[in-house]
Amino acid sequence: MIAQQLVNALTLGSVYALFALGFTLVFGVLEVINLSHGAVFMAGAYAALLLVTKANLGIWVALPLAMLVSGALGLLIDQVVLKPLRARRAHHLMPMIATIGVATLITNAIQGIFGAETSRFPFGTIPEESFQIGAIRITELQIAIVIISSLLMLLLVAILKHTRLGKAVRAVAENPQTSYLLGINVEAVFCLVSFTAAALGGGAGVLIGLSFNSIFPFMGQALIPKGVAVIILGGLGDVRGAMVGGLFLGVAEVMSVAYLSSDYRDAVAFGLLFLILLVRPAGLFGRVMERKA
Amino acid sequence: MTETLQVFWATYNTLVFTVGVHAMLALSIFLTLSCGLLSLGNAAFMGIGAYTAALATLRLGLPFGEALALGGLLPGLVALVIGIPTLRLSGVYLAMATLGFGEVVRVIFLNLEITGGSMGLNGIPMKTQLWHILAILAVLVYGFVRIRRSKIGRSFEAIKEDETAAKAMGINTTAYKLLAFVMGAIIAGVAGGLNAHFTFFVSPREYGFDPAVDILTGAIFGGTGSFVGPMIGSAILAILPELLRFLQAFRLAVNGLILILVVIYLPNGIWDRKLFARLRKKGAA
Amino acid sequence: MQRKIVGTLYGLVAAFLVAATAQAAEVRLGVAEALTGAVAKYGVPIKNGFTLAAEEVNARGGVNGNKLVLVVEDEQAKKEEAINVFKKLIYQDKVLAIFGPTLSNSAFAANPIANQAKVVVFGTSNTANGITDMGPWTFRNSIMEADVLPVTVREAVKKFGIKKVAVLYGNDDAFTKSGYDVFKLVLEAQKIPVTSTETFARGDVDFRAQLTKIKGQNPDAIICSALAEEAANIILQARNLGITVPFVGGNGFNSAKLFEIAKAAADNTIMGGPWAAESNTARNKAFVAAYTKKYGAEPDQFAAQAYDALYIVAEALKAVKLTGNLEQDRKLLRDALPAVKIEGATGSFTFRKAPAKAGVDTGYDARQDAHIFIARGGKFVLMK
Repeated sequence: MIAQQLVNALTLGSVYALFALGFTLVFGVLEVINLSHGAVFMAGAYAALLLVTKANLGIWVALPLAMLVSGALGLLIDQVVLKPLRARRAHHLMPMIATIGVATLITNAIQGIFGAETSRFPFGTIPEESFQIGAIRITELQIAIVIISSLLMLLLVAILKHTRLGKAVRAVAENPQTSYLLGINVEAVFCLVSFTAAALGGGAGVLIGLSFNSIFPFMGQALIPKGVAVIILGGLGDVRGAMVGGLFLGVAEVMSVAYLSSDYRDAVAFGLLFLILLVRPAGLFGRVMERKA
Repeated sequence: MTETLQVFWATYNTLVFTVGVHAMLALSIFLTLSCGLLSLGNAAFMGIGAYTAALATLRLGLPFGEALALGGLLPGLVALVIGIPTLRLSGVYLAMATLGFGEVVRVIFLNLEITGGSMGLNGIPMKTQLWHILAILAVLVYGFVRIRRSKIGRSFEAIKEDETAAKAMGINTTAYKLLAFVMGAIIAGVAGGLNAHFTFFVSPREYGFDPAVDILTGAIFGGTGSFVGPMIGSAILAILPELLRFLQAFRLAVNGLILILVVIYLPNGIWDRKLFARLRKKGAA
Repeated sequence: MQRKIVGTLYGLVAAFLVAATAQAAEVRLGVAEALTGAVAKYGVPIKNGFTLAAEEVNARGGVNGNKLVLVVEDEQAKKEEAINVFKKLIYQDKVLAIFGPTLSNSAFAANPIANQAKVVVFGTSNTANGITDMGPWTFRNSIMEADVLPVTVREAVKKFGIKKVAVLYGNDDAFTKSGYDVFKLVLEAQKIPVTSTETFARGDVDFRAQLTKIKGQNPDAIICSALAEEAANIILQARNLGITVPFVGGNGFNSAKLFEIAKAAADNTIMGGPWAAESNTARNKAFVAAYTKKYGAEPDQFAAQAYDALYIVAEALKAVKLTGNLEQDRKLLRDALPAVKIEGATGSFTFRKAPAKAGVDTGYDARQDAHIFIARGGKFVLMK
């Protein structure tokens, strides 16, 4: 049974990680806790749904296109809402509050337009096969999710580490003012990061939407608290941290259900969060940043 | 005329009480903010207070005053206990830790027999009256005004500005932060007790992540320059859905839009003294 | 002289006609449901059920010549909103009765208001224990799990030779928790051992951890108290994990959504209730056709119960002569309700007074027969 539970944890964790990745990128580079991340996640799922049902595209074509759509949405949010606040040097929580407003606006607007009912991908969109490997059962879809999430994450890490663009992003994350003085186009980096983070979130949305064949306006909101827990666990702003943190949370949740009680599953994420903060606030990979409230 | 007033009061008295309770919650978070602490645990403390006061009334048959007192006391004790390790953190980390604490509390409420689990506690008698809320608010406002000019207030300010410097100056930062945290919890707990006794019912879902974020939003929206801002901000956010009722399905969407617009164009919140000063100057000139 | 007589006659006829039309007033009924937010997926079908029924009644001339007017408000599944909405409907809109609210939680907060104000509050989706204990103005037509589940379990055991079961339920929702409480009592009473009890939260989509644990214990069936969304995902994931045993569900399973997601994986699922979309009565067939035509989707149990609830109230109103005095009319309606019998979309319906509680006058619950259904080929059919 433990092997099966680990497989369960791996798929759950991959999705947490993918969601948290966008979250942590925005925090690391833009220094904003973007609570509208759940909304772009959901927008990605709806975009894929529309592409599959109205434009008759296959799901593997719809996925990247949906990611582009959520990426664009993330960019829009940055330019319209976050940029004016950057210029103004407001209280550092104001952007977070603004993203709450964005999340409320988008989620309820989508509900007003598409209705409160849960939508589904049409029959046949999703691969349905499941395999038995030893004592483990896993579905094609689960395999696809793990592979796609891992690829996206590795791609991101590779770009950040080995390209000039990646270096520029890391520089801005380290210190925007100095980067500016060094000639880096900081605004362009912000735009790129907003786009990428939202695209990753949207991708996660499509994968979750496929996984459980449920797409509904509030699907992103439930993940936000988990996303917060993951980025704290992994270290705020750290990409590897988000990946490891996501997997860690997936394992912790699954194991607590398997060996303790499923009653307290929701508390696991936050219980861990609380403990990590008391013991090692920087999380697994982060550095503690001094901040005043 | 009195008929209209009577109808108005019968229809809207709960809303008025809700505004009052939200104002208290806004004050509780403002207190911690004024000391430089970003605590998101107030929803959980409100919950502890609500359940305690409700149980005191339902199971122990205590009179309202005593139930409320217990509703304030228990969260205060819990705050004392978790505050000591948690307040070593600062900034975003403190916020997340308190948020985490809040979620754990919610799940505990969900799973205990005594709190009724997901069914919560119902049949709580209606005991809250307008004068209770007004009286408590008045006391709080008076308290805040006095604190601002006292040694406690100045210490809070110093800690908020620069904690290291304050410590160097000999201020017992740990004690003062704990004071703010515990007092904030007590206020939130009393607000919870009041709320339980005019809504007949409490359940775990009301004290989790979303309500915690709502309280913060109300405070920041109103402006954290003084204690007036959060009260106004939370009052507006409480009344807004009522005013926007005619928008039906898009009501909450517009709510979100208004929040965005206020944040962008009024960065210090609605109750911005400097903004008023500037406008007055413009008017005078 | 003749002109004068004719003129007077015309005048009299005209006056008579004016007086007659002046009698055709409107009857205002409040509808307080969750129309926005996460719970809207239940609240909106409920509202649709009411709207359809009201339209049908009005198309036939209303009740005693009076048109039914629904005053619809969104209570957002938040208790303060439910209270505010109830107050508005009672004091400002001056409705004769209120339908709703959607969640039992909201009902615990808002129904006392209706009882205090002496206005009928009629729940169509509140199944928690204690709802009708709140006062004699509380009515509901949502059949209680306590009536259905003992039959469901017994029939399931007979059908599949079940010796031991695992239990899975949503522990943060009053509806699914109540269902679990009843299942627990039933399993004890019927002496069926439980291998383990697992829980999940409303809105969860991943149940593999709990299911893997359950699989390791080899139960003969899985008892599941969940709403249709979660139920469907649970069943699908169970099948993907290689669990082949049948599921036995409560009320929440009763929705076409179950099959939309789970499709053939849901075969052999057993659940009980008064209604299924495939129910063969003429009344139900007409309802399903009308609902599907108007809203472009098949109705679920929530819509069906709302539809019937409106007809129940309309039936009560038929027996009442409205006086125009609000307080009196509200009381007349309340007094006429307990005696109502209808043949609704959900079958034959009458009320039953809730068992007396110490010192409190109670309201009225539903008395309806439960049928046991089994899933075959993508829909629920009557299990023989």
